[in-house]
Amino acid sequence: MTAVDYLNLLIAALLLAGIYAAMSVGMTVIYGVMKIVNLAHAGFLMLGAYFVYELFERFHIDPILGAVLALPVFFAFGMGVHWLLVRWLPKSDTPTLASLLLMFGLWLVLQNVGYLVWGNMDRSIFTPRTLSVQRFGEITIPTLGLIVFAAAVISLIVLQIVLNRTWFGRSIRALIQNPYAAQIVGVDDQKTARLTFGLGTAFAGFAGALLAMLFSFNPDFGRQFLLRAFVIIVLGGLESVSGVALGALILALVETFSILKLPAGYQPAISFALLVVVLVFMPKGIAGLLEKKWRVT
Amino acid sequence: MAGDMKISAALARRSAVIFPFLLLIVLLTLPAAGLSANMVRMLFLTAVWTITSLSWNLLGGFAGQVSFGFAVFYGLGAYSTALLMHAGVNPYVSFLGAAATAALASVVIGLPTFRLRGPYFAIATIGVTEAVRVVMNNLDITGGASGYRVTEPGPFRPLEHYYTAIAAVAFAVVVSIVISRSRFGLALRAIKQDEDAAADLGVNPYACKLRIHAVAAALTGIAGGIYARRAAFIHPGDVFAFQTGISILLMPVIGGIGTVWGAVLGGVTFGLVEQELVANFPQVHLLLYGSLLILIVLLEPNGLVGLLRRLFRRTRGDSGSQNADQVFWGRGGLEGRKL
Repeated sequence: MTAVDYLNLLIAALLLAGIYAAMSVGMTVIYGVMKIVNLAHAGFLMLGAYFVYELFERFHIDPILGAVLALPVFFAFGMGVHWLLVRWLPKSDTPTLASLLLMFGLWLVLQNVGYLVWGNMDRSIFTPRTLSVQRFGEITIPTLGLIVFAAAVISLIVLQIVLNRTWFGRSIRALIQNPYAAQIVGVDDQKTARLTFGLGTAFAGFAGALLAMLFSFNPDFGRQFLLRAFVIIVLGGLESVSGVALGALILALVETFSILKLPAGYQPAISFALLVVVLVFMPKGIAGLLEKKWRVT
Repeated sequence: MAGDMKISAALARRSAVIFPFLLLIVLLTLPAAGLSANMVRMLFLTAVWTITSLSWNLLGGFAGQVSFGFAVFYGLGAYSTALLMHAGVNPYVSFLGAAATAALASVVIGLPTFRLRGPYFAIATIGVTEAVRVVMNNLDITGGASGYRVTEPGPFRPLEHYYTAIAAVAFAVVVSIVISRSRFGLALRAIKQDEDAAADLGVNPYACKLRIHAVAAALTGIAGGIYARRAAFIHPGDVFAFQTGISILLMPVIGGIGTVWGAVLGGVTFGLVEQELVANFPQVHLLLYGSLLILIVLLEPNGLVGLLRRLFRRTRGDSGSQNADQVFWGRGGLEGRKL
């Protein structure tokens, strides 16, 4: 291993962290506002992947444009899901058995509708961009990785602006911090919850679309990312966007550099091992350690 | 009217005691009455599922801890039994070994994840399933992903397998009932409803969860062992599959979470329907159960047992059947419960 190899790995980890953050942030906002662990997130990721796939195969729409288009489509879809199913759940400050099972049922439905529609074959999106790389001296970076990273980072910055500058974003933050006080000052919690669910689903669809450019996928596509997303939001302290970014970076670093020591077959066990380590040693996540210094949401 | 109610309540109470024994006798005599080999196989598999359903219900129904990872215990039970039988140990002793292995694994999983409240345990169990399957796929002594053959000398005796499974179901039912009526069972219910309040009353939630997790895992391990002995060939993609964990969770929820007979009903329904559906339409099978899960959570949190209860209530006096329900079905439901 030379210094250049390490640098290459480091860059690969950073690129991975971008998409990991985009994929986890939807789960975070939904958890923050509604205290629902959105297991159906995996299903939305999968649908996002097939969304760009279909657009690309049928209408030859560039996957990057497809990913952007996924945002409004999945926003509407998420709001529909909330209106149809989620709003009937009993309200609670902590995750309930009912909410966990409902979202799990929804995931099962989405996944198996996926199997019915697309079969269990692995699909992938192949464009001229897929195999191209950018060279900077001795450092090689896959073009697609760069594009996906840029898209993910831009989406996160936009989200952060929305959360900080708009009435909707402030409502979300208020509900995360103190649902009762938020309602007293006039935040409509049902409406905000519906919009938040839309937002979370939009990010899931978007991230699924981005992931589809990097990996092959099948209707069970979301599962491998569900646990990762959860590890990331636990690392990030469950409720903050900047925490998610940090969690994503840590998971990506651990996964990337573990290749040096562990056989690739054991990769799926890493996120679980990391989750256990976090649960045992820092139950509030990394953000929990920093929380008192920088209150971030 | 009041007299009628009293009579119907007493009748229900008596039938609640008699009915399971009647069922057991029917199940034990059925093969002698000339059941086809295929029916015996179906009932055997249904019985194995029912054991897992009952054990999931101990943790998920009584203590309110959702686990997606019971496939781990099922698979470990299957593999332990296979390895022990391969070493020449008596099958029934091997089942005990399977129970011990699974219980040990449950402690290893529970120690870190039960430390925290909330969804941590539930999500971690998804990871455990993935991690264990990965390890099993790469483990040399069990043949890795290509599976392991369970060797038992002598002819194939389907009825012995059948009776073993039925006996294990009966055992699981007895364990469930004993726990639900014990002080320990009450402690679990207290934890399910409000962990802080339970702790204030002197219950140690962490220890209770670990203990019930171990009991549930041991029973699931036995189920896995019984399955492996009959199947004669097991591989990680089967016994450790995420789908297996899903099925184990679906049964008690469909039947009626938190009630012993709900878990049995769920296991039997699932087992019989699964045999027909999964062979022909594997996707429709899970699509159906996913939709059912959504409907159950939103409309009838008490599952099939809740539906039956409504039917009973319509035909009989309200307070009388309420009383009878409590005796016959126990109490359960999942609405608004904290994890």
